[in-house]
Amino acid sequence: MTAQEVRLCGLLLQEHFGEVVERIGTHLLRGGAQNLRTIANETNTPLDLVKKSLCVLVQHGACEFGSGRRGPGSPVEYRASCERVLRVLRYPRYIYTAKTLYGDTGELIVEEVLQRGHMTMSNTVKTVADRLTHNMEEGRSMEYSEVVSAFSKLVETHFLQRCPPVAEMGTAATSITPATPGTPAASASTAPPTAESNPDCYKLPHVTLIGRGKRRCSSDDSEEQRGGKKAKMDSEMEFVGKSGDSGGGMYVVNLQRALANLARATLESVVQERFGSRSARIFRLLLRKRHLEQKQVEDFAMIPAKEAKDMLYTLLSENLVQLQEIPKTPDHAPSRTFYLYTVNQLPTARLLLQHCYKTVANLIERRLFETKENKRLLEKSQRIEAILASQQASGAEPEQLTEVEEMITAPERQQLEALRHHINKLDSTENQVDETVFLLESYIFSTKTK
Amino acid sequence: MAGRGRGRGRGQMTFNLEDLGIGRGDSLPPTTFKPSPLFPPMPVQPVPLQTGEEVEYMLALKQELRAANKTLPFYIRRAAPKRDVDRYSDKYQSGEPKDSAIEWSPDWSRLPKELCIKVRKPLAKRHPPQVKQPKKPLVGKEEILTKLETLEKKEEAVNSEEEEDGEKKKTNEEEEQAEEEEFEEDFEEDTDYIMSYFDNGEEFGGDSDDNIDEATY
Repeated sequence: MTAQEVRLCGLLLQEHFGEVVERIGTHLLRGGAQNLRTIANETNTPLDLVKKSLCVLVQHGACEFGSGRRGPGSPVEYRASCERVLRVLRYPRYIYTAKTLYGDTGELIVEEVLQRGHMTMSNTVKTVADRLTHNMEEGRSMEYSEVVSAFSKLVETHFLQRCPPVAEMGTAATSITPATPGTPAASASTAPPTAESNPDCYKLPHVTLIGRGKRRCSSDDSEEQRGGKKAKMDSEMEFVGKSGDSGGGMYVVNLQRALANLARATLESVVQERFGSRSARIFRLLLRKRHLEQKQVEDFAMIPAKEAKDMLYTLLSENLVQLQEIPKTPDHAPSRTFYLYTVNQLPTARLLLQHCYKTVANLIERRLFETKENKRLLEKSQRIEAILASQQASGAEPEQLTEVEEMITAPERQQLEALRHHINKLDSTENQVDETVFLLESYIFSTKTK
Repeated sequence: MAGRGRGRGRGQMTFNLEDLGIGRGDSLPPTTFKPSPLFPPMPVQPVPLQTGEEVEYMLALKQELRAANKTLPFYIRRAAPKRDVDRYSDKYQSGEPKDSAIEWSPDWSRLPKELCIKVRKPLAKRHPPQVKQPKKPLVGKEEILTKLETLEKKEEAVNSEEEEDGEKKKTNEEEEQAEEEEFEEDFEEDTDYIMSYFDNGEEFGGDSDDNIDEATY
């Protein structure tokens, strides 16, 4: 958990669950596994609030509990996980993907489960069906079976996953007292209620595999497809490789390499946008050729010496490029050492990921700041909207409505408009930075698990 | 000897200045008098944001989620800070939930026992001082149903809690104290006077004490 990650997690927790949970959550993230009393003491929070917050965190999967370090008799310890909290940024994208694949029903199911952490199937189906019925026209109602089928499809494609049962905690010495009567009886569904949740298996559909998937290229394929595959093979991307000739040719989709290439493209585009196209050329050169001396960089990139030196030093100061010393003599004299410039893709990707986290945290803080600055104005406009709505509901004349609307002056209206525009922009930017975060995280994760 | 070298050229240093890239005859960069600006002008502008239906939809989703989160029971607010004087309206105007119980019902089989506040049976041994005392059942429903029992237990719990667990519970749990005080007024006076005869003038507000001797009609 880097400092940037913890800061971002704190802001996300604060936005979604309030300050109390944020305090407990950041404390857990910084301090590792702790038990209940330690948390309460160190954060100076009343015990009941700590318990409530822990319930919320565990419900949403941000925190896990396990038996303590000193064996089964010691108090329960809680651990928070950074990654799970950071997923909160991605909720809109999950919901939108579910919508495009499974329609409104799928969208609502996913939204409900995301908001509640984990839920039983019967609860979800009931809530979603009621919501849909509420939004439909009079006389029509949503069938539970439709919702159930959408739910099952989501489970099959791993959008939703069943929570594993949790072992009883602290049962060694004390007698087990079942806290509440067992799982509530299912209301609508036939099967025993299963609690479903969205763990980190919840990725956008096209990247769920780490490793290789085989796809049979049958001879029934159209010519285009085969031509396309061949072209893919020939290109440097190497997403698809040939792995044997049985059955007319077996092809392999190498996701790891795909991710690496995507990450590389991201890095290159970052350099291009921030430092210009010539620096980007140098960067690409170094990625391809690994280690180069300064003179060679100038030659290959076809950039005059002075500018090349300048750009290299800028990239070096930003840590995007590293310097590798290769001594010729055992005394490492500077005049007799090779200094080679190099780019390591993985550490650079990690660096960029941390920059992204910092960016998102800054965006959130700026948005909170803007909201706070204009709190008075926002509250006024909300009150006026409420008045307008109630007047319209009770059937008022147009003069009364205009009178109420005029309570906001024109410059205030402009200010409100500008504020909304800014907040929308900041929100939208968060969503887009999250795309880059997803890409880089997937790449880094894929290199870890081998 | 100490003065040797002073005043000659730019001054002698222990390292070679040329290694830093500042050769002889070059002028140094201008000295700075204040910290660097907070938002320095950017050499290149960032790429404009994406637009499109997808982006707009996700933006709307995000804002709706944020707004909806505030209404869910998962959003935990601190109890309102205690005002300097207890007001009469506090009894009737409790907007914030004064209970310390959870407003939603999680699946307790998936949570460790110690997080459950409603349980009235003795907790596991990790709370040794309170093993004998049942946890304060401050949930509204249970109070209504078994009010007398609750009050009695609470009295015991209050007494023992104040003795044994003074460190955290007292100062921080304002809402519990507020409730305790409500009952303390009526029960914990060690006097011989029957409480119902005593009118300390609080609920009437504004009467001066001089008129108590006058007969009540």
